[in-house]
Amino acid sequence: MKIRSTLILFLLWFVSFSQNKQIVYGFLEIPQSLILNPGGKVGNKGYIGVPLLSHIHVNGGTTGATVYDVFANDGVNFNTKLRNAVNSMNDNDYISFNQQLDLFSAGFAFGSSYEKNEYLSFGLYQELDMINYFPQDYAILALEGNQNNINKVFDLSDFSLSAEVISVFHMGYNKKVNSKLNYGFRGKIYSSIVNVNSTRNKGRFVTVPGNDNVYDHIFDLNLKLRTSGIASLDDDQNSDSEGAIKTIANRVLFGGNLGLGFDVGFSYNITKQWTVDGSLLDIGFIHHSKDVENHELKGDYVFEGINPIFPESNGSETADDYWSEIEEDFEELFNIDVTNKSYTTWRPIKLNASLNYAFGEKKEEDCNCIKEELGYLNATGVQLYAVNRPRRPQLALTTYYYRYLFKGLRLKATYTIDSYSFYNLGIGLSAHIGRMNFYAMADNFIQYKNIYDAEGVSLQLGFNYIFKKNEN
Amino acid sequence: MIRKALSKIIYVLYILIIFGSCAKDVDFEQARDYVFTPVIESSLVFFDEPAPSFLDSGVEIEIIQDFVFIEFFDDDFILDNLVKAEFDFETINSINRRFELRVDMLDVANQLQHTFTVIQEASQTGEDVLSSHIETFEDDSLQALKNTSFILFTYRLLPGPTINEDTPGSIQLKSKAVFYFEIEDAL
Repeated sequence: MKIRSTLILFLLWFVSFSQNKQIVYGFLEIPQSLILNPGGKVGNKGYIGVPLLSHIHVNGGTTGATVYDVFANDGVNFNTKLRNAVNSMNDNDYISFNQQLDLFSAGFAFGSSYEKNEYLSFGLYQELDMINYFPQDYAILALEGNQNNINKVFDLSDFSLSAEVISVFHMGYNKKVNSKLNYGFRGKIYSSIVNVNSTRNKGRFVTVPGNDNVYDHIFDLNLKLRTSGIASLDDDQNSDSEGAIKTIANRVLFGGNLGLGFDVGFSYNITKQWTVDGSLLDIGFIHHSKDVENHELKGDYVFEGINPIFPESNGSETADDYWSEIEEDFEELFNIDVTNKSYTTWRPIKLNASLNYAFGEKKEEDCNCIKEELGYLNATGVQLYAVNRPRRPQLALTTYYYRYLFKGLRLKATYTIDSYSFYNLGIGLSAHIGRMNFYAMADNFIQYKNIYDAEGVSLQLGFNYIFKKNEN
Repeated sequence: MIRKALSKIIYVLYILIIFGSCAKDVDFEQARDYVFTPVIESSLVFFDEPAPSFLDSGVEIEIIQDFVFIEFFDDDFILDNLVKAEFDFETINSINRRFELRVDMLDVANQLQHTFTVIQEASQTGEDVLSSHIETFEDDSLQALKNTSFILFTYRLLPGPTINEDTPGSIQLKSKAVFYFEIEDAL
């Protein structure tokens, strides 16, 4: 059974698909860029996101083998490909997946009537975030066994998984201090719908040549899986889908395990053409106290075999007594304790920073917007993104080119280097037709040539109704 | 004019994304062909006893018998995926007596399923004499192993110089089991 679940886990590895939004970041015309930097420049007087459609974001990736590596229809034996894939990866490889959906969002500028230099934005979004490191040593044990791995320490910390579904209510304040500086912050209330977390596993299993017998098998287990919001979904009242949906809907609206967090950010015009900005997002925690179920496996044991024949040397014990004792020890070793102890998880903190250069002044006929802010047709720059993950931060470095095509259309093309790939090209557009704003972006275009060989895919799109600055 | 250009651009982008992205031939059905072949080794019985251990109140014990119940082979996963097994025995003797270890494997109804004997030659000079025995379980004998619910060990001293409190030497036994699995269709 245990072996089976290990197998399922690592097969899942290949079929599942970060949360970097390098194309939206700094994209002034898209109101949702304020979510990525609460202190960014504001490009509108107000907006209302089309409910459920204002921001849809999906991002997934694998640093290890791709679907194509394993499932290519190339005549190579599946087991050979699987073994090659396992051998090509290590315990720092991971798959991660992030999805966000705006339920609603809106914002408006306020302040003195002649210069509205403050901006308030708010909304509710749902987020799913998952990261699973490749459990290399578990995979090797399942594929090879211990025969060819005598003295090899199977590191049980290789299993690291974190997954959560949350809803986030947020309200942000942005202030334009002067023509150079904007700053802002955003407060967040998290409501956790489901959380599964197993990131602090320790222990080892190793087979070494023994003194008394051929081998000593050393078990040192310290594994912990914490969950909230899962146990009750099996309850009677949630047994039908209707009941479960009600429970989940309730949790979206602050009925789950609650947490608090905040974002901060700024942007600064060094010169008319050079800008620097940055933000820190999701500095926050969630306290899980409701519907908690934790599973813990802890124990040490060294097994060297059965010493049966000479009862005299072991008091009055028979071999079967001796064996029963070993069986009990094993049962105790693999006994999983279930507790309901509350726990706290930290949100993955994200850092964004960029340095930008705008050039190519717009001609008057192209632009009737505020010249100071939208005075250039082109912009280019570098962006840094980092997110804190259980093992180590994930980093991404992006260079981009932004182009104002004409009043209704802006494009941004990006080239990103990250843990998934070194050749990630992305493109995004923001179109304005009347007061409607539509934006769509995707990256990893090169890899779309063979979607199954993609190491990462990121998509964002949304619809907003914009109150433009020039429509006072 | 602008709208026309805009719709053209969006159209071109759309075409690019739809037709620019494609998928090379993959076959997910291959997953059904998976075979994992882990080989697990585990220590089995062992002892290391000096000659006088074979005495009970000064009298030599001719036969020592003991047994263990095993539930290992009740597990469906083991039954379905174990394709071969080996029991490897190594003995070292420095006592001037020949020994044999008979291993009887019995099912839940006490019916003998399989038996084998490990012979250890005597050490006439007091030097260590090494023997080894590998019992392989395949086909019929593998089925017998899977039917086993308890194992009876019979240890017998074969005729030779009588053992007393002063008899030198010892006998040592180490053993391991090797389980060959072929895991398919387990998911």
